Amino acid sequence: MSVKAFKLVSAVEREMLMGDKNYINIECIECCGKNLYIGTNDCFIYHFLLDEKISTAGKITFAATKQLHKYLGLKKPVSELKAASALTRLLVLCDNTITLVNMMNLEPVPTGARIKGAVTFALNENPVSGDPFCVEVCIISVKRRTIQMFMVFEDRVQIVKEVFTPEQPCAVAVDGYYLCLALTTQYIILNYNTGASQDLFPYCSDEKRPIVKRIGRQEFLLAGPGGLGMFATVDGISQRAPVHWSENVIGAALCFPYVVALDDEFITVHSMLDQQQKQTLPFKEGHILQDFEGKVIVATNKGVYILVPLPLEKQIQDLLASHRVEEALVLAKGARRNIPKEKFQVMYKRILQQAGFIQFAQLQFLEAKELFRSGQLDVRELISLYPFLLPTSSSFIRSHPPLHEYADLNQLTQGDQEKMTKCKRFLMSYLNEVRSTEVANGYKEDIDTALLKLYAEANHESLLDLLVSENFCLLTDSAAWLEKHKKYFALGLLYHYNGQDAAALQLWVKIVDGDIQDSTRSDLYEYIVDFLTFCPDQDLVWKYSEWVLEKNEQVGIQIFTKRPLEEQEKTNFKPDDIVSCLNKYPKARVKYLEHLVLERKIEKEKYHTHLAVLYLEAILQLKSVTTDNCTETTELLFKLRSLLQKSDLYRIHFILDKIQGTDLHMESAILYGKLEEHEKALHILVHKLKDFHAAEEYCMWNSENRDVQYRRRLFHMLLSVYLNPGTSDCALVMAAVDLLNNHAAEFDAALVLEVVPDSWSVQLLSPFLAGAVRQSIHTKRMTQTALGLAQAENLIYRHEKVKQKGTPILLSDKKVCQVCQNPFCEPVFVRYPNGGVVHTHCAANRHLNSNTTHHSSSSSNKT
Amino acid sequence: MIRAGGREGGSRPAAGRAGPSRAAMKKPDGKVVLLGDMNVGKTSLLHRYMERRFQETVSTVGGAFYLKQWGPYNISIWDTAGREQFHGLGSMYCRGAAAVILTYDVNSLQSLTELEERFLALTDSASADCIFAIVGNKSVASCSSKVRKQVRAEDKMCFETSAKTGYKVDYLFETVFEMVVPIIVRQKAEGPPQTVDITDYKPAKRTKSGCCA
Repeated sequence: MSVKAFKLVSAVEREMLMGDKNYINIECIECCGKNLYIGTNDCFIYHFLLDEKISTAGKITFAATKQLHKYLGLKKPVSELKAASALTRLLVLCDNTITLVNMMNLEPVPTGARIKGAVTFALNENPVSGDPFCVEVCIISVKRRTIQMFMVFEDRVQIVKEVFTPEQPCAVAVDGYYLCLALTTQYIILNYNTGASQDLFPYCSDEKRPIVKRIGRQEFLLAGPGGLGMFATVDGISQRAPVHWSENVIGAALCFPYVVALDDEFITVHSMLDQQQKQTLPFKEGHILQDFEGKVIVATNKGVYILVPLPLEKQIQDLLASHRVEEALVLAKGARRNIPKEKFQVMYKRILQQAGFIQFAQLQFLEAKELFRSGQLDVRELISLYPFLLPTSSSFIRSHPPLHEYADLNQLTQGDQEKMTKCKRFLMSYLNEVRSTEVANGYKEDIDTALLKLYAEANHESLLDLLVSENFCLLTDSAAWLEKHKKYFALGLLYHYNGQDAAALQLWVKIVDGDIQDSTRSDLYEYIVDFLTFCPDQDLVWKYSEWVLEKNEQVGIQIFTKRPLEEQEKTNFKPDDIVSCLNKYPKARVKYLEHLVLERKIEKEKYHTHLAVLYLEAILQLKSVTTDNCTETTELLFKLRSLLQKSDLYRIHFILDKIQGTDLHMESAILYGKLEEHEKALHILVHKLKDFHAAEEYCMWNSENRDVQYRRRLFHMLLSVYLNPGTSDCALVMAAVDLLNNHAAEFDAALVLEVVPDSWSVQLLSPFLAGAVRQSIHTKRMTQTALGLAQAENLIYRHEKVKQKGTPILLSDKKVCQVCQNPFCEPVFVRYPNGGVVHTHCAANRHLNSNTTHHSSSSSNKT
Repeated sequence: MIRAGGREGGSRPAAGRAGPSRAAMKKPDGKVVLLGDMNVGKTSLLHRYMERRFQETVSTVGGAFYLKQWGPYNISIWDTAGREQFHGLGSMYCRGAAAVILTYDVNSLQSLTELEERFLALTDSASADCIFAIVGNKSVASCSSKVRKQVRAEDKMCFETSAKTGYKVDYLFETVFEMVVPIIVRQKAEGPPQTVDITDYKPAKRTKSGCCA
């Protein structure tokens, strides 16, 4: 697992430093801006200017030009160099003394300011003084267990604090008031202001050289046991997991997001983001590794090299190229703070998309989907992987540089059908998910067309749902595809959605007729009927009406009968046209007429008569075929009777003519009834049919909504039919008795008693008589009650009248008419019941002009 | 691993799955540390909980940590190295911890005694109201080991888990998290945290800047 995060570039060759003097070794380096300083073991300081050059191929090289070299004259090695650019001073540690020299000419400051007795020192990069022309320096003193803090100015130094440590310190780093110290047996954090100390962890500094490196505000990187690079904050907490170096690590540096470490043989690069080792660069005899303002410099005894970080984007691309998605994403996220926001967002989106395609290619669909979503992938990128899915008209061109390495799905799956199916299934669900989101904006056509194609190919049931709901499928592309996959029903839906109902119907009719095969719907015929029923295109309905009726009259007629009512009334579906069109289809015609007469209640004699005739013909037809009453006949008879009874519009004589000579007595009775020829009707019922119950019923329904007299007349008529002296049928007599006894209320008892034969016993008629007497008494009492009530009412009015008369009305000159406001000159006036007094002519005018008659209606006139 | 909270155990889609790597992204509100002898299954427990699967792991070097969203809080869970070599680091890891999960192997009495002898002392640096959970890992639900009898089973902060089967692993972590939340709330209420929020950081004047030279 490796990333190319850094490239090692030579900066200062050995020839430039020492020529052929092999005894000269590099002891320390410092880099500040372009200035590179090198301290040697023979007490020289070299000053170089580093120039970064980028070749046209993007290759970075460094050219060092030597500015100066300066002998310090001590024959001791220069052990440490630190630049303080704000003071243009270079702090030089040599022979346990820190001297200040000018950064440019390397001359010591004239005041000779120096710090004596320093074993090693560190600058406080998070100074506490706030003085920009002052550098805070912390030294490990030559005195046992002593740390000293100094303020270093341009030409003087000033001791600030001296603190003692529990053990001998051997390395130090500073941040604010916090010292991070490597002691003999452990690391500690020491606040030199408060003196508070915090143990970090044990470490044997005698065995292995400790590393204390400030890596940011209040955080340090320390060499830990077992070659661990430990992170610790000033609170003594580790906020990052450790990185794992080799046991003999010499130095460490930080170049976000990487921790670089040096050992005898290698430079290793770990990511601070996931603690993984990312890169290993062979590097022998290295002994210095330091970072200077983001520049990582490594040195052997003889030469200086620079670790040039590769652009993060390049690193990320390399990771993606080796399919290390997770790491690439971590690195990209980690890079957020190093890259301008807009640039980062564009870059990060792209990385997410690329990562998505990598996961996709590994069939990690869940992961891929999430990445596509968060990367706001143009869905067409994904669709375009699948051959033929994008509509031919689509203007889509894959992004450049490409987001992935695949030409198409065939290449990606290497022809593996199972994988291919999985990929297709994924795209289906993905497109279905995004099609209604903002992701789809702008390419809804492409998405829906692709989805349609996938559904059609996979024989997916959602195909129909897609087509019947709002969609943006492109017609030509989709039609060709559906045809190819023999999805004719769906194709019809597509045509319909695009307003081409004629084409849709043509297809469907072909399916029903078996000209083309598509078993999507077994009830396609009913579907077509339903479709035509709600089809606003009349021509189309007419065109297919014959086909529909031909198939099934009963169902087919729905295209006329089930149409939305308001539409039926508005459009040119004229009942006459339809009826005449239906001549060929008797069953449909009956259904339609029933629809007109019974459901829509159209009051036209034509339809009512026509329907009655059709019923009649059908019944006669059936009767001529079979003798026994089948259910169909019964049903028809029932319908006919019901029509004849309820409707008043048909031509009675016409029907009666037709019915003459048949055995439809009941029906003819109804017809006679309609003609008010009740005697005839009742005669038929009683004598021909001998259906006394029907006769009674007849009297009932014929007198419905009529007055009592009419009803009585009918019942008396029936009674006289029963008691016709011409017949002495016992059954009729019984019927008469029953009639009287059961319907006592319907008769005028006095009249009945006249007709009833004298031979009948009172016993026989006792229920009737009792009923009649009761009725009579009831009537009498009702009348008395009414009389009483009327008298009471009369009394009230009389009372009113007396009251009105009781109070005199005084009329004087001072009273004025309420209408014209003039005084009364004559004694005649009109008084309204509410007390208002007006002139007679005013009242008369008012009578004419207004309708407020309730006042004047009860007005009284008094002189 | 982002989780909306609650106790449901389903694993989330991939984008949320980022191992120790995401740790640097968010500032944790509380810390839970796994301690215990080497080879008792600390890493496996954590792995089982975070990644929902069991996987043979190599011996942990140093330590690693995961960030877990628990309700509105980010809880960092530190996996420590059990090896003697890294023992010295334990106390730093435990510093300020809201909970310590002391782990032993139910098949090894030694690993239980080690907890008391070696690891308990490390927790001195933990938060004063730190919660302790004792976990016997590698439990086979059906059998009862000798070691189990050493631990008072009625104590509700004693668990037996199996990282391999996932037995009671969620229960362990979720119980601990539930108890850690009040500590976090209390710590937050007690004023500014000891650590400095870097996002609030305003760059100080830099001594070593070239412009004023």
